[in-house]
Amino acid sequence: MNETDLAGPILFCVALGATLLLAGKVQFGYIYGMSGIGCLGIYALLNLMSSSGVSYGCVASVLGYCLLPMVILSGSAVFFSLQGMIGTVLALVIIVWCSLSASKIFISALDMEGQQLLVAYPCALLYGLFALLTVF
Amino acid sequence: MAAADELAFHEFEEATNLLAETPDVTTISRSDPRTPEGQVAVAVGSGGGYGAEDEVESDKTALLQEPQPQPGFWTFSYYQSFFDVDTSQVLDRIKGSLLPRPGHSFVRHHLRNRPDLYGPFWICATLAFVLAVTGNLTVVLAQRRDPSIHYSPQFHKVTVAGITIYCYAWLVPLALWAFLQWRKGVRERMGPYTFLETVCFYGYSLFIFIPTVVLWLIPVPWLQWLFGALALALSAAGLVFTLWPIVREDTRLVASMLLSAVVLLHALLAMGCKFYFFQPLPLEHMAPAHQDTSLHPNVVLTPTPPRPMITEGLRLQV
Repeated sequence: MNETDLAGPILFCVALGATLLLAGKVQFGYIYGMSGIGCLGIYALLNLMSSSGVSYGCVASVLGYCLLPMVILSGSAVFFSLQGMIGTVLALVIIVWCSLSASKIFISALDMEGQQLLVAYPCALLYGLFALLTVF
Repeated sequence: MAAADELAFHEFEEATNLLAETPDVTTISRSDPRTPEGQVAVAVGSGGGYGAEDEVESDKTALLQEPQPQPGFWTFSYYQSFFDVDTSQVLDRIKGSLLPRPGHSFVRHHLRNRPDLYGPFWICATLAFVLAVTGNLTVVLAQRRDPSIHYSPQFHKVTVAGITIYCYAWLVPLALWAFLQWRKGVRERMGPYTFLETVCFYGYSLFIFIPTVVLWLIPVPWLQWLFGALALALSAAGLVFTLWPIVREDTRLVASMLLSAVVLLHALLAMGCKFYFFQPLPLEHMAPAHQDTSLHPNVVLTPTPPRPMITEGLRLQV
């Protein structure tokens, strides 16, 4: 993964902020802050866990592209409140979807076999924070 | 490879203990188990080696490689060897911490002298996060049952939980390791654990508190105490069985004092978490009879005027 493309991720962050805005929550600051710090954390972890290093742009790019299901979740929050059972289940499914796809890309790009769940767990925590932002 | 039989995992408890007691037999130096092994593991790639395979590998590759200078502790590569674990290894270590067996030291049996920092770090993070979330959830659930209770999200609990858990998981192993190093002179046979091994088994021993904390959401007091006692028993048993081979050669007094101090600190942590994050909410309209005056109560049980409706509306904007 030599090309780091940040246009897509930034577009998805803005889309997430826009869909949250539609639901009445102005939280662009939280989104940018959490993305930045979360990417930093995952960057540190991946550099520790993989034998070849990874650049920050690559991490930001992958995490940003895998944020798309979260945009779907916050879009659906416009039509019905997510604070019931169905909202919780949907949020959990979306978190698992995001983190599994992000970890799959990291595993294949950095050649770390047998560590997919170990990478998926921190990604799930990060996307869980985004889901908390969306649901509450 | 010719040593295919050796690569199969055999349950040789005696052998494990003997290997630990006579460290000259192994090719890893006691004081620095990381240097030749850590580099072998990184070079081999998957890092899934256990016991016999590691010694065979490091025998051969130590001859081929020159000893490389240890990277400083401020670089990434110093810490890379501690994150060199597979999912299956982490899951195996977690299972080992959940089911302690007498005579099986966690360090010798599961860590096999290759401590990792991934497990302890994420277990502490998860525990802190789960404590804060369930602490808030108990008040939410109590409010659903009894609308006179006023709830506001307590974000400072995340900070408190984080600081407490991380301090416990690092400072207590530090003190324990320092004490064991000091008593090293008394022991002839087996070397004490390294600092990272101590941190590692303390971290994994905290894992059982994660499901316990989630189960503490059930608002039945005797059940909460039962779960707490069960978790504490399992966790403390794991710690005691791991420390027993080290302290049994010391004098009785020191050994019993050390083990009881370890169990006591663990119990204090469990009870502190229970009381701080799960202040028992009485079912009647009584003031909470709770002791810790340094904590500001998150529950106001006096009947409140209609103001909470407005604050509820404002709170949703957050």
